[in-house]
Amino acid sequence: MTAERPGTDGSGVGGADEPAASDPASNGAGRGGTRLAAHDLGHGFGNGAVLEDISLAVEPGEILAVVGPSGTGKTTLFRLLAMFERPDEGAVEVGGDDVWDLPEARRLAVRRRIGMAFQTRSLFSTTVEENVSYGLRVRRSWSARIRDAVEGLFGRDEPSDTVEKALRTVGMFDKVDRDAGSLSAGEAQRVAIARALAPDPDVLLLDEPTSNLDPRNTAAIESAMRAARDRGIAVALATHDMQQARRVSDRTAVILGGTCIESGPTDEVFGSPDDDRVRQFVEGKLVY
Amino acid sequence: MFALGDLNLTYLVSITAVSLYVSTAAVALSAALGLPISLAVGFRDFYGKSVVTSVISTGMGFPSVVVGLVVLLALSRSGPLGTFDLLFTPEAMILSQTILALPVLVSVSLSAVQSVPQDLRDAAFAAGGTSTDVALLVVREARYGIVTALLAAYGRAISEVGSVLIVGGNIVFSDSTSFTRTLTTAITVEARKGNIETGIALGAILLALVLGVNALGARFRDRTPGRNGRGR
Repeated sequence: MTAERPGTDGSGVGGADEPAASDPASNGAGRGGTRLAAHDLGHGFGNGAVLEDISLAVEPGEILAVVGPSGTGKTTLFRLLAMFERPDEGAVEVGGDDVWDLPEARRLAVRRRIGMAFQTRSLFSTTVEENVSYGLRVRRSWSARIRDAVEGLFGRDEPSDTVEKALRTVGMFDKVDRDAGSLSAGEAQRVAIARALAPDPDVLLLDEPTSNLDPRNTAAIESAMRAARDRGIAVALATHDMQQARRVSDRTAVILGGTCIESGPTDEVFGSPDDDRVRQFVEGKLVY
Repeated sequence: MFALGDLNLTYLVSITAVSLYVSTAAVALSAALGLPISLAVGFRDFYGKSVVTSVISTGMGFPSVVVGLVVLLALSRSGPLGTFDLLFTPEAMILSQTILALPVLVSVSLSAVQSVPQDLRDAAFAAGGTSTDVALLVVREARYGIVTALLAAYGRAISEVGSVLIVGGNIVFSDSTSFTRTLTTAITVEARKGNIETGIALGAILLALVLGVNALGARFRDRTPGRNGRGR
């Protein structure tokens, strides 16, 4: 069951002014055209449904916070949005197309317009630079990749402008040559976000990116989220930290028990929630 | 000083060359077969996976003489592979060594592949990687374990005596060049003849070879770009 605030469309979170959808498979589509939406998503893992009837959307140039207590299905939702697996029910749409109706090659092209960073440490055991450039490398032809690998045997080039830009966004360019294994948890998370940003995605999914991080790294990551939003990227943030959702998001969707029970502009959701459970959750009285 | 008896340079070089050729070819064949098996088993969850991994692990303990006997029967004229006329050739030895090295390689590399965290596979996928890219990433992340698997398989192959004796025949030409005699089978021959010093000298060469291969492997394994980091 999806609770919607007055004035929102059927997507639950999306506003009335839906940006024009672009061809999801087109290369280098301009900003302002890519909207990621979930329609009536349902998903389970054998022992019951984890998600039920979830509808929401994230628009270009905004941050959508998906809040809810741990274990409520946020990670499952984000994995479905990132196309890790096909939902049991409902549809994931990018630019108006149901991604699972697309041929495989086009689905890959659509998937490559979505960047994602995870809650857990997920850096590869190589340098910061190679981590950040990974998404760029896998987009290249095999002949170019082999040529790069051979050239790499005879010395390393300077980091590309794209890698530098992504690392500067998260304030980590000074560590570009460091071994990823030597980074602190907060630094590693910032590099993971740079890796997601480097291919210049249209959509950025961040699954609990700051849980267990210190305030300095949290601030750096929140700053990177705002920078991404200002560049026109649609940013979706899963978090159980309501203060963070209030600080950074434009709109908020509250998920409890695998269902989106309320969504809308962040100020309204936190200021005057329609649903009693949301009110209790916001006030810290609803304990899971 | 060892009294090396009949041990001349031609003989020494040829048995060393046969040892290296047979073992290297067997490990290469094992790797070509075994690494895809490791990735396929390591990547997927399927019914009976634990049975498959148990069978692979059990294979590490195959008695080499039994493998030699089975290969002998398979390659004999009346056997299913008799038409290839491979019995008592280096290729027959490669076959038996491959059978012995394969479970070692698969078992150790499977363990390495399975130890790569799912989070890293997810990260590669989320960064736009295809299933091939994710598999390559896993191989890269598991490289320490995979090199260890190759070294373990090489150790199993080059130290092998029983099966190569049975299927190779331990043949040396009249000009002292080896056809199917390896360092290990040569040591057996010298020991039987009472030439203990010669056997020890051959054993030292064998150990040096194993050490050299391990040193090469360790060097490759530990060569990780940026591992120690360089600040800017």
